[in-house]
Amino acid sequence: MDFLHVEGFRKKFYNTEVLKGIDFSLQKGEILAIIGASGSGKTTLLRCLNFLETPDEGKVYLDGELLSDAKERYPEGTLREKRKKFGLVFQNFNLFPHYRAIKNVSLASDLAAKERAKEFRREQKRRYREEGVRFAGRLARRDGAKFREEALKESARRAEELLETVGLGDKKQSYPGELSGGQQQRVAIARALALDPEVLCFDEPTSALDPELTGEVLRVIRALKGRTMIIVTHEMKFAREVADKVLFMADGAVEEEGTPEEIFVHARSEKLRAFLKRENSGD
Amino acid sequence: MNTFLSITLDLLEGFGTTCLIFALTLALALPLGLVVAFGSMSRFRLLRLPVRTLVWIIRGTPLMLQLIAIFYGPSLLFGIGGFDRLTAVIVAFVINYACYFSEIYRGGIEGVPAGQREAAQVLGLTKRQTFFYVILPQVIKRITAPMSNEVMTLVKDTSLARIISVAEIIMVSQEYTRQGLIWPLFYTGAFYLLFIGILTLLFRFLEKKLAYIKV
Repeated sequence: MDFLHVEGFRKKFYNTEVLKGIDFSLQKGEILAIIGASGSGKTTLLRCLNFLETPDEGKVYLDGELLSDAKERYPEGTLREKRKKFGLVFQNFNLFPHYRAIKNVSLASDLAAKERAKEFRREQKRRYREEGVRFAGRLARRDGAKFREEALKESARRAEELLETVGLGDKKQSYPGELSGGQQQRVAIARALALDPEVLCFDEPTSALDPELTGEVLRVIRALKGRTMIIVTHEMKFAREVADKVLFMADGAVEEEGTPEEIFVHARSEKLRAFLKRENSGD
Repeated sequence: MNTFLSITLDLLEGFGTTCLIFALTLALALPLGLVVAFGSMSRFRLLRLPVRTLVWIIRGTPLMLQLIAIFYGPSLLFGIGGFDRLTAVIVAFVINYACYFSEIYRGGIEGVPAGQREAAQVLGLTKRQTFFYVILPQVIKRITAPMSNEVMTLVKDTSLARIISVAEIIMVSQEYTRQGLIWPLFYTGAFYLLFIGILTLLFRFLEKKLAYIKV
Protein backbone atom coordinates (compact mmCIF):
# COMPACT_ATOMS: atom_id res chain seq x y z
CA MET A 1 0.00 0.00 0.00
CA ASP A 2 1.41 3.36 -1.00
CA PHE A 3 1.64 6.02 1.67
CA LEU A 4 0.68 8.80 -0.70
CA HIS A 5 -1.15 8.15 -3.90
CA VAL A 6 -2.24 10.85 -6.32
CA GLU A 7 -4.64 9.83 -9.03
CA GLY A 8 -5.66 11.66 -12.16
CA PHE A 9 -4.96 15.28 -11.26
CA ARG A 10 -6.33 17.58 -13.95
CA LYS A 11 -6.39 21.35 -13.85
CA LYS A 12 -7.40 23.93 -16.39
CA PHE A 13 -6.91 27.68 -16.12
CA TYR A 14 -9.36 29.18 -18.58
CA ASN A 15 -8.49 27.25 -21.72
CA THR A 16 -5.00 26.19 -20.82
CA GLU A 17 -4.65 22.67 -19.53
CA VAL A 18 -1.94 22.93 -16.90
CA LEU A 19 -2.23 19.42 -15.51
CA LYS A 20 -3.28 16.68 -17.89
CA GLY A 21 -3.90 13.79 -15.56
CA ILE A 22 -1.05 13.28 -13.12
CA ASP A 23 -0.59 10.01 -11.24
CA PHE A 24 2.15 9.12 -8.83
CA SER A 25 2.72 7.44 -5.52
CA LEU A 26 5.20 7.64 -2.74
CA GLN A 27 6.19 5.44 0.21
CA LYS A 28 6.48 6.71 3.74
CA GLY A 29 9.83 8.38 4.33
CA GLU A 30 10.64 8.68 0.64
CA ILE A 31 11.76 11.83 -1.08
CA LEU A 32 10.28 12.66 -4.45
CA ALA A 33 11.97 15.26 -6.62
CA ILE A 34 9.94 16.88 -9.37
CA ILE A 35 11.89 18.42 -12.20
CA GLY A 36 10.90 20.01 -15.48
CA ALA A 37 10.97 23.27 -17.39
CA SER A 38 9.10 26.34 -16.15
CA GLY A 39 5.46 26.12 -17.11
CA SER A 40 5.40 22.34 -17.07
CA GLY A 41 2.92 22.31 -14.17
CA LYS A 42 5.23 21.40 -11.28
CA THR A 43 4.15 24.26 -9.04
CA THR A 44 0.46 23.83 -9.84
CA LEU A 45 0.76 20.19 -8.86
CA LEU A 46 2.17 21.15 -5.46
CA ARG A 47 -0.47 23.82 -5.01
CA CYS A 48 -3.22 21.31 -5.75
CA LEU A 49 -1.77 18.91 -3.21
CA ASN A 50 -1.76 21.68 -0.60
CA PHE A 51 -5.33 22.74 -1.38
CA LEU A 52 -4.22 26.17 -2.60
CA GLU A 53 -5.81 25.27 -5.92
CA THR A 54 -8.65 22.87 -6.44
CA PRO A 55 -7.97 20.47 -9.27
CA ASP A 56 -10.81 19.90 -11.72
CA GLU A 57 -10.40 16.18 -11.31
CA GLY A 58 -8.30 13.90 -9.18
CA LYS A 59 -8.02 12.07 -5.90
CA VAL A 60 -5.46 11.96 -3.14
CA TYR A 61 -5.03 8.92 -0.94
CA LEU A 62 -2.99 9.23 2.22
CA ASP A 63 -2.04 6.27 4.37
CA GLY A 64 -4.56 4.08 2.59
CA GLU A 65 -7.48 6.45 3.02
CA LEU A 66 -9.12 8.77 0.56
CA LEU A 67 -8.06 12.24 1.70
CA SER A 68 -9.63 14.33 -1.00
CA ASP A 69 -11.59 14.03 -4.18
CA ALA A 70 -11.86 17.02 -6.49
CA LYS A 71 -15.51 16.19 -7.05
CA GLU A 72 -16.36 16.67 -3.38
CA ARG A 73 -16.94 20.01 -1.73
CA TYR A 74 -15.62 19.98 1.82
CA PRO A 75 -16.76 22.34 4.55
CA GLU A 76 -14.13 24.83 5.67
CA GLY A 77 -13.36 23.04 8.94
CA THR A 78 -12.80 19.65 7.28
CA LEU A 79 -10.67 21.26 4.61
CA ARG A 80 -8.45 22.82 7.25
CA GLU A 81 -7.86 19.44 8.87
CA LYS A 82 -6.95 17.97 5.47
CA ARG A 83 -4.63 20.86 4.72
CA LYS A 84 -2.63 20.23 7.84
CA LYS A 85 -1.57 16.83 6.49
CA PHE A 86 0.64 18.70 4.04
CA GLY A 87 3.25 21.33 4.73
CA LEU A 88 4.54 23.72 2.10
CA VAL A 89 7.73 25.74 1.88
CA PHE A 90 7.33 28.51 -0.66
CA GLN A 91 9.78 29.82 -3.19
CA ASN A 92 9.51 33.33 -1.71
CA PHE A 93 9.45 32.15 1.94
CA ASN A 94 6.28 34.12 2.72
CA LEU A 95 7.27 34.64 6.32
CA PHE A 96 5.03 36.94 8.33
CA PRO A 97 7.05 40.18 8.43
CA HIS A 98 5.42 41.48 11.60
CA TYR A 99 6.38 38.51 13.77
CA ARG A 100 9.76 37.49 15.12
CA ALA A 101 11.28 34.24 13.81
CA ILE A 102 10.05 32.24 16.80
CA LYS A 103 6.52 33.59 16.52
CA ASN A 104 6.49 32.77 12.80
CA VAL A 105 7.20 29.18 13.73
CA SER A 106 4.83 28.97 16.69
CA LEU A 107 1.89 31.04 15.39
CA ALA A 108 -0.18 28.15 14.04
CA SER A 109 0.29 25.97 17.12
CA ASP A 110 -0.26 28.99 19.41
CA LEU A 111 -3.62 29.63 17.82
CA ALA A 112 -4.51 25.95 17.97
CA ALA A 113 -3.50 25.95 21.65
CA LYS A 114 -5.81 28.88 22.34
CA GLU A 115 -8.68 27.08 20.67
CA ARG A 116 -8.05 23.96 22.70
CA ALA A 117 -7.88 26.00 25.91
CA LYS A 118 -11.25 27.53 25.13
CA GLU A 119 -12.68 24.09 24.53
CA PHE A 120 -11.16 22.82 27.77
CA ARG A 121 -12.62 25.75 29.73
CA ARG A 122 -16.11 24.98 28.43
CA GLU A 123 -15.73 21.32 29.36
CA GLN A 124 -14.52 22.18 32.86
CA LYS A 125 -17.43 24.53 33.34
CA ARG A 126 -19.85 21.82 32.38
CA ARG A 127 -18.14 19.38 34.72
CA TYR A 128 -18.16 21.82 37.67
CA ARG A 129 -21.80 22.56 37.05
CA GLU A 130 -22.67 18.88 37.04
CA GLU A 131 -20.81 18.40 40.29
CA GLY A 132 -22.74 21.32 41.71
CA VAL A 133 -19.60 23.25 42.60
CA ARG A 134 -20.07 26.94 43.36
CA PHE A 135 -18.33 29.52 41.12
CA ALA A 136 -18.18 27.01 38.26
CA GLY A 137 -17.49 29.77 35.72
CA ARG A 138 -14.66 31.27 37.69
CA LEU A 139 -13.03 27.91 38.38
CA ALA A 140 -13.32 26.92 34.75
CA ARG A 141 -11.71 30.19 33.70
CA ARG A 142 -8.83 29.52 36.04
CA ASP A 143 -8.36 26.01 34.64
CA GLY A 144 -8.62 27.31 31.09
CA ALA A 145 -5.99 29.97 31.72
CA LYS A 146 -3.64 27.41 33.18
CA PHE A 147 -4.19 25.04 30.27
CA ARG A 148 -3.57 27.85 27.84
CA GLU A 149 -0.39 28.94 29.54
CA GLU A 150 0.99 25.40 29.53
CA ALA A 151 0.05 24.85 25.88
CA LEU A 152 1.60 28.13 24.77
CA LYS A 153 4.77 27.35 26.70
CA GLU A 154 4.97 23.98 24.98
CA SER A 155 4.39 25.60 21.60
CA ALA A 156 7.18 28.13 22.19
CA ARG A 157 9.52 25.40 23.42
CA ARG A 158 8.88 23.34 20.31
CA ALA A 159 9.37 26.37 18.05
CA GLU A 160 12.69 27.05 19.72
CA GLU A 161 13.72 23.45 19.21
CA LEU A 162 12.81 23.64 15.52
CA LEU A 163 14.81 26.83 15.06
CA GLU A 164 17.77 25.03 16.65
CA THR A 165 17.29 22.20 14.16
CA VAL A 166 17.60 24.59 11.22
CA GLY A 167 20.59 26.24 12.88
CA LEU A 168 18.91 29.50 13.85
CA GLY A 169 18.67 29.16 17.61
CA ASP A 170 20.42 32.50 17.99
CA LYS A 171 18.08 34.31 15.58
CA LYS A 172 14.80 33.47 17.24
CA GLN A 173 14.13 37.08 18.26
CA SER A 174 14.90 38.52 14.80
CA TYR A 175 12.27 39.81 12.43
CA PRO A 176 12.27 38.36 8.89
CA GLY A 177 13.44 41.72 7.55
CA GLU A 178 16.62 41.37 9.57
CA LEU A 179 17.51 37.95 8.17
CA SER A 180 19.24 36.91 4.96
CA GLY A 181 17.26 35.04 2.31
CA GLY A 182 18.81 31.74 3.31
CA GLN A 183 18.00 32.32 6.97
CA GLN A 184 14.43 33.32 6.10
CA GLN A 185 13.96 30.13 4.14
CA ARG A 186 15.27 28.10 7.06
CA VAL A 187 12.76 29.79 9.36
CA ALA A 188 10.09 28.94 6.78
CA ILE A 189 11.16 25.29 6.90
CA ALA A 190 10.94 25.31 10.70
CA ARG A 191 7.49 26.88 10.42
CA ALA A 192 6.33 24.15 8.04
CA LEU A 193 7.67 21.50 10.42
CA ALA A 194 5.85 22.96 13.43
CA LEU A 195 2.60 21.22 12.56
CA ASP A 196 4.45 17.97 11.87
CA PRO A 197 2.84 17.37 8.47
CA GLU A 198 2.63 13.89 6.96
CA VAL A 199 4.07 15.16 3.69
CA LEU A 200 6.36 18.17 3.46
CA CYS A 201 6.45 19.96 0.10
CA PHE A 202 9.03 22.40 -1.21
CA ASP A 203 8.31 24.70 -4.12
CA GLU A 204 11.70 25.58 -5.60
CA PRO A 205 13.05 26.43 -2.17
CA THR A 206 16.32 27.91 -3.40
CA SER A 207 15.22 29.70 -6.58
CA ALA A 208 14.84 33.09 -4.89
CA LEU A 209 18.23 32.86 -3.20
CA ASP A 210 21.65 34.13 -4.12
CA PRO A 211 23.82 31.18 -5.21
CA GLU A 212 26.03 31.40 -2.13
CA LEU A 213 22.99 30.99 0.14
CA THR A 214 21.50 27.89 -1.46
CA GLY A 215 23.95 25.58 0.30
CA GLU A 216 22.68 26.26 3.83
CA VAL A 217 19.06 25.65 2.80
CA LEU A 218 19.86 22.44 0.93
CA ARG A 219 21.84 21.23 3.96
CA VAL A 220 18.79 21.71 6.16
CA ILE A 221 16.54 19.84 3.73
CA ARG A 222 19.07 17.03 3.45
CA ALA A 223 19.05 16.68 7.21
CA LEU A 224 15.29 16.06 7.11
CA LYS A 225 15.83 12.75 5.30
CA GLY A 226 13.45 10.19 6.69
CA ARG A 227 10.44 12.45 6.30
CA THR A 228 8.10 12.03 3.38
CA MET A 229 8.93 14.97 1.14
CA ILE A 230 8.16 16.30 -2.30
CA ILE A 231 10.65 18.77 -3.69
CA VAL A 232 10.12 20.77 -6.84
CA THR A 233 13.57 21.92 -7.79
CA HIS A 234 15.94 23.21 -10.42
CA GLU A 235 18.94 21.95 -8.49
CA MET A 236 19.68 18.82 -10.51
CA LYS A 237 22.66 17.75 -8.45
CA PHE A 238 20.64 18.04 -5.28
CA ALA A 239 17.67 16.14 -6.74
CA ARG A 240 19.95 13.36 -7.88
CA GLU A 241 21.62 13.14 -4.50
CA VAL A 242 18.65 13.17 -2.09
CA ALA A 243 15.69 11.84 -4.07
CA ASP A 244 14.47 8.27 -3.89
CA LYS A 245 12.32 8.92 -6.88
CA VAL A 246 12.28 11.55 -9.62
CA LEU A 247 9.38 12.80 -11.68
CA PHE A 248 10.09 14.64 -14.90
CA MET A 249 7.18 16.79 -16.00
CA ALA A 250 6.63 18.30 -19.41
CA ASP A 251 3.57 20.15 -20.68
CA GLY A 252 1.38 19.23 -17.74
CA ALA A 253 2.09 15.51 -17.84
CA VAL A 254 4.53 13.10 -16.26
CA GLU A 255 6.91 12.46 -19.11
CA GLU A 256 9.18 10.10 -17.26
CA GLU A 257 9.61 8.78 -13.74
CA GLY A 258 12.09 6.59 -12.00
CA THR A 259 15.04 6.41 -9.68
CA PRO A 260 17.61 9.24 -9.91
CA GLU A 261 19.85 6.81 -11.77
CA GLU A 262 17.17 6.06 -14.36
CA ILE A 263 16.29 9.70 -14.85
CA PHE A 264 19.70 11.33 -14.83
CA VAL A 265 21.83 8.61 -16.35
CA HIS A 266 19.53 6.52 -18.48
CA ALA A 267 17.03 9.09 -19.68
CA ARG A 268 14.79 7.52 -22.28
CA SER A 269 12.58 10.27 -23.67
CA GLU A 270 13.88 12.89 -26.05
CA LYS A 271 12.33 15.70 -23.98
CA LEU A 272 14.12 14.65 -20.82
CA ARG A 273 17.45 14.35 -22.58
CA ALA A 274 17.05 17.80 -24.09
CA PHE A 275 16.00 19.22 -20.70
CA LEU A 276 18.98 17.73 -18.89
CA LYS A 277 21.33 18.98 -21.54
CA ARG A 278 19.98 22.52 -21.15
CA GLU A 279 20.21 22.33 -17.37
CA ASN A 280 23.79 21.08 -17.45
CA SER A 281 24.97 23.73 -19.86
CA GLY A 282 23.34 26.34 -17.65
CA ASP A 283 25.38 25.38 -14.59
CA MET B 1 -15.52 93.21 27.75
CA ASN B 2 -13.63 91.40 25.04
CA THR B 3 -10.25 90.67 26.52
CA PHE B 4 -7.74 88.30 24.96
CA LEU B 5 -8.42 85.91 27.80
CA SER B 6 -12.20 85.96 27.49
CA ILE B 7 -11.99 85.46 23.74
CA THR B 8 -9.51 82.60 24.17
CA LEU B 9 -11.86 80.91 26.63
CA ASP B 10 -14.77 81.44 24.29
CA LEU B 11 -12.84 79.96 21.36
CA LEU B 12 -11.71 77.07 23.55
CA GLU B 13 -15.32 76.16 24.07
CA GLY B 14 -15.84 76.08 20.31
CA PHE B 15 -12.63 74.10 20.00
CA GLY B 16 -14.12 71.58 22.43
CA THR B 17 -16.94 71.00 19.96
CA THR B 18 -14.37 70.71 17.15
CA CYS B 19 -12.51 68.05 19.12
CA LEU B 20 -15.74 66.23 19.92
CA ILE B 21 -16.72 66.02 16.25
CA PHE B 22 -13.20 64.88 15.42
CA ALA B 23 -13.02 62.21 18.11
CA LEU B 24 -16.49 60.76 17.53
CA THR B 25 -16.03 60.70 13.77
CA LEU B 26 -12.69 58.94 14.06
CA ALA B 27 -13.92 56.42 16.64
CA LEU B 28 -16.92 55.43 14.53
CA ALA B 29 -15.59 55.84 10.99
CA LEU B 30 -12.46 53.72 11.52
CA PRO B 31 -14.36 50.47 12.18
CA LEU B 32 -17.21 51.36 9.81
CA GLY B 33 -14.68 52.03 7.06
CA LEU B 34 -13.40 48.46 7.41
CA VAL B 35 -16.95 47.16 7.04
CA VAL B 36 -17.46 49.30 3.93
CA ALA B 37 -14.12 48.04 2.57
CA PHE B 38 -15.27 44.44 2.98
CA GLY B 39 -18.51 45.34 1.22
CA SER B 40 -16.73 46.87 -1.74
CA MET B 41 -14.45 43.82 -2.03
CA SER B 42 -17.25 41.29 -1.66
CA ARG B 43 -17.59 38.42 -4.12
CA PHE B 44 -21.33 39.04 -4.17
CA ARG B 45 -22.39 41.60 -6.72
CA LEU B 46 -25.57 42.33 -4.81
CA LEU B 47 -23.49 43.61 -1.97
CA ARG B 48 -20.51 44.97 -3.87
CA LEU B 49 -22.39 47.15 -6.34
CA PRO B 50 -24.55 49.11 -3.87
CA VAL B 51 -21.56 49.64 -1.58
CA ARG B 52 -19.40 50.88 -4.44
CA THR B 53 -22.21 53.16 -5.58
CA LEU B 54 -22.49 54.60 -2.08
CA VAL B 55 -18.74 55.23 -1.98
CA TRP B 56 -18.96 56.91 -5.37
CA ILE B 57 -21.79 59.21 -4.26
CA ILE B 58 -20.18 60.11 -0.95
CA ARG B 59 -16.79 60.79 -2.48
CA GLY B 60 -18.37 62.47 -5.47
CA THR B 61 -20.36 65.16 -3.66
CA PRO B 62 -19.27 67.88 -1.25
CA LEU B 63 -19.39 67.05 2.44
CA MET B 64 -21.22 70.36 2.91
CA LEU B 65 -24.04 69.11 0.72
CA GLN B 66 -24.17 65.81 2.61
CA LEU B 67 -24.43 67.69 5.91
CA ILE B 68 -27.40 69.66 4.64
CA ALA B 69 -29.03 66.57 3.15
CA ILE B 70 -28.75 64.62 6.37
CA PHE B 71 -29.92 67.48 8.55
CA TYR B 72 -32.81 68.75 6.43
CA GLY B 73 -33.49 65.65 4.31
CA PRO B 74 -35.72 63.69 6.69
CA SER B 75 -38.08 66.60 7.37
CA LEU B 76 -38.15 67.67 3.72
CA LEU B 77 -38.80 64.19 2.39
CA PHE B 78 -40.97 62.63 5.06
CA GLY B 79 -42.10 65.60 7.11
CA ILE B 80 -40.63 64.06 10.22
CA GLY B 81 -38.15 65.60 12.60
CA GLY B 82 -34.64 64.38 11.78
CA PHE B 83 -31.54 64.40 13.89
CA ASP B 84 -30.55 67.16 16.23
CA ARG B 85 -27.75 69.31 14.87
CA LEU B 86 -24.75 67.68 16.45
CA THR B 87 -26.03 64.17 15.68
CA ALA B 88 -26.57 65.16 12.04
CA VAL B 89 -22.98 66.39 11.88
CA ILE B 90 -21.64 63.16 13.38
CA VAL B 91 -23.75 60.98 11.06
CA ALA B 92 -22.67 62.90 7.95
CA PHE B 93 -19.02 62.93 8.97
CA VAL B 94 -18.94 59.25 9.92
CA ILE B 95 -20.49 58.16 6.61
CA ASN B 96 -18.23 60.46 4.63
CA TYR B 97 -15.04 59.44 6.37
CA ALA B 98 -15.96 55.75 6.47
CA CYS B 99 -16.11 55.86 2.66
CA TYR B 100 -12.73 57.54 2.35
CA PHE B 101 -11.19 55.22 4.94
CA SER B 102 -12.69 52.21 3.15
CA GLU B 103 -10.68 52.97 0.04
CA ILE B 104 -7.52 53.27 2.09
CA TYR B 105 -8.26 49.96 3.78
CA ARG B 106 -9.02 48.35 0.45
CA GLY B 107 -5.71 49.49 -0.98
CA GLY B 108 -3.95 48.23 2.15
CA ILE B 109 -5.64 44.85 2.14
CA GLU B 110 -5.16 44.25 -1.57
CA GLY B 111 -1.54 45.33 -1.24
CA VAL B 112 -0.69 42.45 1.10
CA PRO B 113 0.91 39.81 -1.15
CA ALA B 114 -1.23 36.75 -1.90
CA GLY B 115 1.57 34.60 -0.50
CA GLN B 116 0.80 35.81 3.02
CA ARG B 117 -2.73 34.51 2.86
CA GLU B 118 -1.53 31.27 1.27
CA ALA B 119 1.08 30.75 3.97
CA ALA B 120 -1.61 31.16 6.62
CA GLN B 121 -3.90 28.81 4.74
CA VAL B 122 -1.27 26.09 4.47
CA LEU B 123 -0.71 26.41 8.23
CA GLY B 124 -4.38 25.67 8.80
CA LEU B 125 -5.41 29.08 10.09
CA THR B 126 -9.10 29.93 9.87
CA LYS B 127 -10.18 32.86 7.70
CA ARG B 128 -10.75 34.90 10.84
CA GLN B 129 -7.35 34.11 12.28
CA THR B 130 -5.74 34.84 8.92
CA PHE B 131 -7.31 38.27 8.82
CA PHE B 132 -6.63 39.31 12.40
CA TYR B 133 -3.20 37.74 12.91
CA VAL B 134 -1.66 37.93 9.45
CA ILE B 135 -3.37 40.47 7.21
CA LEU B 136 -4.57 43.28 9.49
CA PRO B 137 -1.24 44.00 11.23
CA GLN B 138 0.38 44.42 7.82
CA VAL B 139 -2.50 46.58 6.60
CA ILE B 140 -2.03 48.91 9.56
CA LYS B 141 1.62 49.30 8.65
CA ARG B 142 0.77 50.01 5.02
CA ILE B 143 -1.93 52.57 5.67
CA THR B 144 -0.43 54.78 8.38
CA ALA B 145 0.83 57.37 5.89
CA PRO B 146 -2.40 57.78 3.86
CA MET B 147 -4.43 57.61 7.09
CA SER B 148 -2.45 60.44 8.66
CA ASN B 149 -3.35 62.60 5.66
CA GLU B 150 -7.01 61.79 5.93
CA VAL B 151 -7.11 62.31 9.68
CA MET B 152 -5.55 65.75 9.33
CA THR B 153 -8.09 66.68 6.69
CA LEU B 154 -10.79 65.65 9.15
CA VAL B 155 -9.48 68.11 11.76
CA LYS B 156 -10.06 70.97 9.34
CA ASP B 157 -13.27 69.59 7.81
CA THR B 158 -14.93 69.91 11.21
CA SER B 159 -15.29 73.61 10.42
CA LEU B 160 -18.07 72.65 7.97
CA ALA B 161 -20.33 71.89 10.93
CA ARG B 162 -21.17 75.60 11.15
CA ILE B 163 -23.24 75.18 7.97
CA ILE B 164 -25.97 73.72 10.15
CA SER B 165 -25.18 75.98 13.09
CA VAL B 166 -23.08 73.70 15.24
CA ALA B 167 -20.87 76.06 17.19
CA GLU B 168 -17.40 74.80 16.42
CA ILE B 169 -14.44 77.12 16.76
CA ILE B 170 -14.75 79.03 13.44
CA MET B 171 -18.41 79.74 14.05
CA VAL B 172 -17.61 81.08 17.50
CA SER B 173 -14.95 83.36 16.08
CA GLN B 174 -17.33 84.68 13.44
CA GLU B 175 -19.48 86.10 16.24
CA TYR B 176 -16.60 88.51 16.81
CA THR B 177 -16.20 89.26 13.12
CA ARG B 178 -19.78 90.39 13.11
CA GLN B 179 -18.91 92.79 15.93
CA GLY B 180 -16.07 94.16 13.83
CA LEU B 181 -13.29 92.14 15.47
CA ILE B 182 -11.38 90.20 12.82
CA TRP B 183 -8.36 88.79 14.65
CA PRO B 184 -10.19 86.03 16.56
CA LEU B 185 -10.93 84.39 13.21
CA PHE B 186 -7.23 84.21 12.39
CA TYR B 187 -6.47 83.26 15.94
CA THR B 188 -8.41 80.00 15.42
CA GLY B 189 -5.60 78.97 13.05
CA ALA B 190 -3.33 78.59 16.05
CA PHE B 191 -5.67 76.01 17.57
CA TYR B 192 -5.72 73.97 14.38
CA LEU B 193 -1.96 74.20 14.05
CA LEU B 194 -1.47 72.99 17.58
CA PHE B 195 -3.86 70.08 17.02
CA ILE B 196 -2.20 69.07 13.75
CA GLY B 197 1.20 69.40 15.37
CA ILE B 198 0.23 66.89 18.05
CA LEU B 199 -1.21 64.52 15.44
CA THR B 200 1.97 64.78 13.37
CA LEU B 201 4.01 63.74 16.38
CA LEU B 202 1.63 60.89 17.15
CA PHE B 203 1.81 59.52 13.61
CA ARG B 204 5.57 59.88 13.55
CA PHE B 205 5.69 57.87 16.77
CA LEU B 206 3.41 55.22 15.29
CA GLU B 207 5.50 54.95 12.14
CA LYS B 208 8.63 54.51 14.22
CA LYS B 209 6.85 51.85 16.27
CA LEU B 210 5.95 49.96 13.09
CA ALA B 211 9.32 50.41 11.40
CA TYR B 212 10.36 46.87 12.29
CA ILE B 213 7.85 45.46 9.82
CA LYS B 214 9.49 45.35 6.42
CA VAL B 215 6.72 44.88 3.91
